[in-house]
Amino acid sequence: MAGDIIETIIELQDAWKIYKMGEVEVPALRGVTVEIKKGDFVAIMGASGSGKSTMMNLIGCLDLPSRGSIYLKSQDISKLSESDLASLRGKTIGFIFQQYNLIQSMSAFENVMLPLEFLEYDEKKAANRTREILKLVGLSDKMQYRPTQLSGGQQQRVSIARSLASDPEIVLADEPTGALDSVTGREVLDMLKSLWKEQGKTIIMVTHDLNLAKYAHTIIELKDGEILRISENHEVKDPVFKYGD
Amino acid sequence: MKLGKCFKHAFNMVLHSKLRSWLTITGIVIGVAAVIAIVSIGDGMQQSLNAQLNALGGDIVTISPGFERGGGFFQMRGGGDGGGSSGPQATTKEIVLGRSDVQALKGIPDIALIDTNIRGSVDVSYLGKKGRISITGVDQSVWSQITTSKIKTGRMLDSADQNVIVIGGRLASSYFDQPLGINKMTMINGSAFRVVGILDDQSNSIYMPIQMAYQVIPEKTNGIYDTLVVKIKDENFLDEVITKIQDKLMIARHVTQKNMDFSVSSRKEMQQARADTMSSMNTFLLAIAAVSLIVGSIGIANTMFTSVLEKTKEIGIMKAVGARNRDILLIFLFNAAFIGLVGGILGIILGTILSGFMPVLMGGLPLARGTAIVTLNSITMALSVSVTVGIIAGIIPAYQASKLKPVDALRYE
Ligand SMILES: Nc1ncnc2c1ncn2[C@@H]1O[C@H](COP(=O)(O)OP(=O)(O)O)[C@@H](O)[C@H]1O
Ligand SMILES: [Mg+2]
Repeated sequence: MAGDIIETIIELQDAWKIYKMGEVEVPALRGVTVEIKKGDFVAIMGASGSGKSTMMNLIGCLDLPSRGSIYLKSQDISKLSESDLASLRGKTIGFIFQQYNLIQSMSAFENVMLPLEFLEYDEKKAANRTREILKLVGLSDKMQYRPTQLSGGQQQRVSIARSLASDPEIVLADEPTGALDSVTGREVLDMLKSLWKEQGKTIIMVTHDLNLAKYAHTIIELKDGEILRISENHEVKDPVFKYGD
Repeated sequence: MKLGKCFKHAFNMVLHSKLRSWLTITGIVIGVAAVIAIVSIGDGMQQSLNAQLNALGGDIVTISPGFERGGGFFQMRGGGDGGGSSGPQATTKEIVLGRSDVQALKGIPDIALIDTNIRGSVDVSYLGKKGRISITGVDQSVWSQITTSKIKTGRMLDSADQNVIVIGGRLASSYFDQPLGINKMTMINGSAFRVVGILDDQSNSIYMPIQMAYQVIPEKTNGIYDTLVVKIKDENFLDEVITKIQDKLMIARHVTQKNMDFSVSSRKEMQQARADTMSSMNTFLLAIAAVSLIVGSIGIANTMFTSVLEKTKEIGIMKAVGARNRDILLIFLFNAAFIGLVGGILGIILGTILSGFMPVLMGGLPLARGTAIVTLNSITMALSVSVTVGIIAGIIPAYQASKLKPVDALRYE
């Protein structure tokens, strides 16, 4: 019953991704169909090379499928213009990368403010928002530091702050703890969890670590570019049902 | 992204750019500096030429024997070094100016004064030091009114003068071991002469009464002149008077337009010819400067391509966080424009310094004595050229950057 009311935020319909390496065609995704509900915490699991990152790039509209369709908030992304897609991505999706992907010549503050500049926020509003978010991730005192002056965990927190700057509905994290030790990794995971529980964000996380996948409510398992299984983790209290009640 | 923000990011890119970008800028700097130096020296020369034209000699006409050469009224002025030069010189032995020509000129009412000149190179000694110096014999009764030289100390030649000379500034100050001052005696080809005046110039010349010059320059015959210098009454009729002089002399010398064996030139024409030479030289130098600007712009394009490569990952990040193609394009274009602008500004500074030195370097050329003038015009021109060059060089790399697919850019290491 509840499922009918819950909104689908991203939908992949028979999505294929075939990489061409000269003559050879590498099918990284083979007809993936999946719906991701607004407010869910999804973990995408699978062995290395199973197509997790490829799927993530499609979900994040960083790439277009070779075949099939992708709907972001009910819009077919292949029908959007480049600039509309860029703006939609900037507004709706925040990215957290394994290697943080911060711009080295910019301070933490500038990195976090960057998405807001692309969205043409008012200068003052953008600065306030940036400060607020950096405070949220506990980096108020490191705002003017450059990535090289920060530890891995701190850099990942800057990257999380950046992904949250425009207050997106969806946060995508591709192996967010891959480069961190287990303690710092857990901190990052707790942060994601609280974003999900307290702010109602849709979290989609790629991981190959079962221990981390336990944090998620829905687990999608990939094998050789196909969905092997989709399961729900009932130990995780699903905030989605709050909407359904 | 707003334009102002694109500007800011482009500017930061320049600030954080590597040594290589700065080296690239050098190409533009040199090009712009060359343009500025050339244009400002040209402007300076133009101005001093104009000043000379207006200040003096607009009413002076010079008549020389010999056939007119192809281009203009080129002739050796103030050069007693008579021998050894080219073609027409060989004919001057037969083709000369004489008393009858002076007589003919006297019949033209527009002429105020006529000075007769001869020149030669003779040995001059002073306090044991000897040198070969060019001397000019002048009609001392009119010379002081015709010459454009100014006296620094002493006086000009006078009608009653005999064994006296007026000398150039350099000859007086530094030619001999000791300065050759007023009232000092020199030996010129065996005869003693007294210095009565020193000119306000930097020449090594000697002026003396023409009758004395005939005595000290052995190869000159009395009544034969090297040049006739004429001052006309009203310089507004310069061209008409030149025609009259030509007509009159053609009759007197029994020649026609075709075999005219003398030339009539005015200082104005000579200045004009010099100005023309100057401007074609300027055009040539400007072409060289343009080439260096082109080379500079290729350098910018090269740096931009490399910088797009280097920044591929950043471009991917920017696209992931919402950058549109247009934003990336503008950031890289502005970056290229900034490189051009910085190059332009440094080039203007360097060019201004260079143009200050240039007249000194070219000091030997009488034309180059004008001071260089850096005008607002040439600055504006240099800046707009360098920025345009930067933008043009940056268009293709910036376009490539903007077209990068976010996934591909993010994968780049
Ligand atoms: N840009 C690409 N070009 C060619 N092959 C690729 C590219 N990206 C991924 N692949 C291939 O596609 C498959 C899936 O890759 P990926 O999605 O990165 O897997 P995962 O993230 O699960 O490790 C792999 O075989 C990989 O080699
Ligand atoms: Mg991967």
